[in-house]
Amino acid sequence: MHSKKILAAILACCMALALLTGCQSTSAASDDSDVPTVTLWGSGSDLVRVELETIAEMFNSDPEYSKKAHLEIQFILSGTGEASVVDRMAAAYESGQTDTDFDLIAMDENYVSTVLSKTSADFLEPIDTSLVPNLANVEFKSDSDTFVGYRGTCVYLAYNAETVPNPPTTAEELYQWIKDHPGRFAYNVPSTGGAGLSFLSTALYNPLPEEAATSDDEKWVEQWGEGFALLEELHPYLYQSAGKVQYPQKNQGTLDLLANKEIDMCPAFADMVFMQKDMGTMPDSIELIQIEPAFTGNLVGFFIPEIGKDKEAAHAVIDFFLTPEAQATSWDTIFGFPVLPSAEVPAEKNKDWLENTNISSFRAISNGALLYEEIEQWDEKIGQLG
Amino acid sequence: MQEKKKKSRTWVGYLLVCPAFLVMLAVVIIPICNSVLLSFQGEDGGLTWDNYLYFLTDDASIRNILFTLKVAVFTIVLALFISYALALYLRFSTSRVSRLVGHLYLLPRFVPSMVAVYAVINIVKDSGLINRISLLFEQNIKPGFLFDDKGIILVNLWFSIPFATMMLLAGLSGVSDSLVESARDAGASSRQIFTKLLLPLTFKDIMITGTFIFMSQIGAFTIPYLVGPNNPKMLGVALFQQQSSYADYPKAMALSVIMFLLCSVGAVLYIWTSLKDPEWAEK
Repeated sequence: MHSKKILAAILACCMALALLTGCQSTSAASDDSDVPTVTLWGSGSDLVRVELETIAEMFNSDPEYSKKAHLEIQFILSGTGEASVVDRMAAAYESGQTDTDFDLIAMDENYVSTVLSKTSADFLEPIDTSLVPNLANVEFKSDSDTFVGYRGTCVYLAYNAETVPNPPTTAEELYQWIKDHPGRFAYNVPSTGGAGLSFLSTALYNPLPEEAATSDDEKWVEQWGEGFALLEELHPYLYQSAGKVQYPQKNQGTLDLLANKEIDMCPAFADMVFMQKDMGTMPDSIELIQIEPAFTGNLVGFFIPEIGKDKEAAHAVIDFFLTPEAQATSWDTIFGFPVLPSAEVPAEKNKDWLENTNISSFRAISNGALLYEEIEQWDEKIGQLG
Repeated sequence: MQEKKKKSRTWVGYLLVCPAFLVMLAVVIIPICNSVLLSFQGEDGGLTWDNYLYFLTDDASIRNILFTLKVAVFTIVLALFISYALALYLRFSTSRVSRLVGHLYLLPRFVPSMVAVYAVINIVKDSGLINRISLLFEQNIKPGFLFDDKGIILVNLWFSIPFATMMLLAGLSGVSDSLVESARDAGASSRQIFTKLLLPLTFKDIMITGTFIFMSQIGAFTIPYLVGPNNPKMLGVALFQQQSSYADYPKAMALSVIMFLLCSVGAVLYIWTSLKDPEWAEK
């Protein structure tokens, strides 16, 4: 009698454990055809997920491309505290896995150096351009042979044309404008968003030689002094709330202030401004201008980790993202700057903005691990100012 | 025979608890031990107190701790004061208004926190509703609540008052009408009933409510992140920064342990008050 009870208890234990361990073995078997599945990893805001999934649907229903691969999206929403794609890949690499579903990664080009520093120099597969015929039509290409950009994203100076009829056109003029108009400019805490980070990075790197911007050599850290002195000088002239200078959290924080006309100017991602004007949450009087030397912009695109599965199929996916249709979808969902000449992109929304996009003016600041140092120093030197 | 039966029954008990214990071990106990170990890890990989010393000696970090305690104390005092008044009203008034309030006071808890935070922001920010209404009357009132501790406390009250009122109302409902009536018959004034009868009888509930609010403030993130200033920061925001901006995991773990210790002050207080019998009951 008792042995029965004990047996039942042991069984219950086993079943509970089986439940726990069995959870992971549910990955669906691929369709009955022998088309390889390509898993594309992306991260960012929810709209980026919508963009990738829309293009994936187009890919999977395209008569030509769907024969080469079946595309699936794995998406990590930013700001949720999930392990980043880079960390996951690094973990897979560290633990010696060679057959993973990290087939294709969609990411900011700036992160390439981070990926390599966390893995190895040959972690990324060189792109075979013969498998990406559409690359021939691309106007704006990356210099890297392991990365193919499919859209651009760029920080501009957003301003209220009602109150600022003559916006600054150079960085020097902008800094002077800030001092002349106390409380009317803001940039977000650099660690919370790329627009504020771009303002910080350009302030630090404008006085330095050009090679510094793409180097992760520690020696440049010592030369940031001039930039930080400038930011400290600007500090008292920035947006104030409750009697104190306040740096908003996240890119959206500054845009909210701009939309409410509490400030007249801020650095902002062009796509965010376009999107919010399109939705009607940003007043029509808000316009964009690029200053000289420019804020930073970068390509978002693909790389293929060596630990992925079918490399040839991954190339086909990259090729599809460079078709005019996919480029148009990217513009219509998230206002991603096309890498094809804008006249060739059959987009539906706001064509006048589309014509003015120009990735060739992009300026990249990619300092690898120094990025952490940069935002930490800002928090210590500028964020602590009263 | 009897002894044997008892023994096997104990074993069944252990076996039944076993799955739950294994899950706890894997997802709670081992990770916590790992985190505590990691918090003592120095840059060279050796054991060190440096991570803790950093938070207890660095000026900015001390300001963060004091700021968090200040917000917590203000929230507790204001929430308890307002909630106690509200609970007294709901307990002793039988009017139609009080019945209506009795139905409505929990409503703010059901508004998702993000929605509530943005709603408050849109009203109190310097270009918000208050400011816009004042502009109609050719004034320019800027409340100065956003990005300030006043703003954090205000939003905290939105969430704390319904919770505290619920707890205190439950406590006050435990005081029977007959007690209050007999005190009144014996000639006690309303003030005496409050200070000599209600307050001592609900002291435990007040302490417990206060501790719960305290603990929620030590780990608070969303409200101070969206409403609070850049500097000083509440500990939850500072922790987020260590982990996600600087990727400094040992320091983040050390700060987590410090926050845990602060919370356990509240926990000890909670256990102490709930175990302790009031003086009058001992006699």
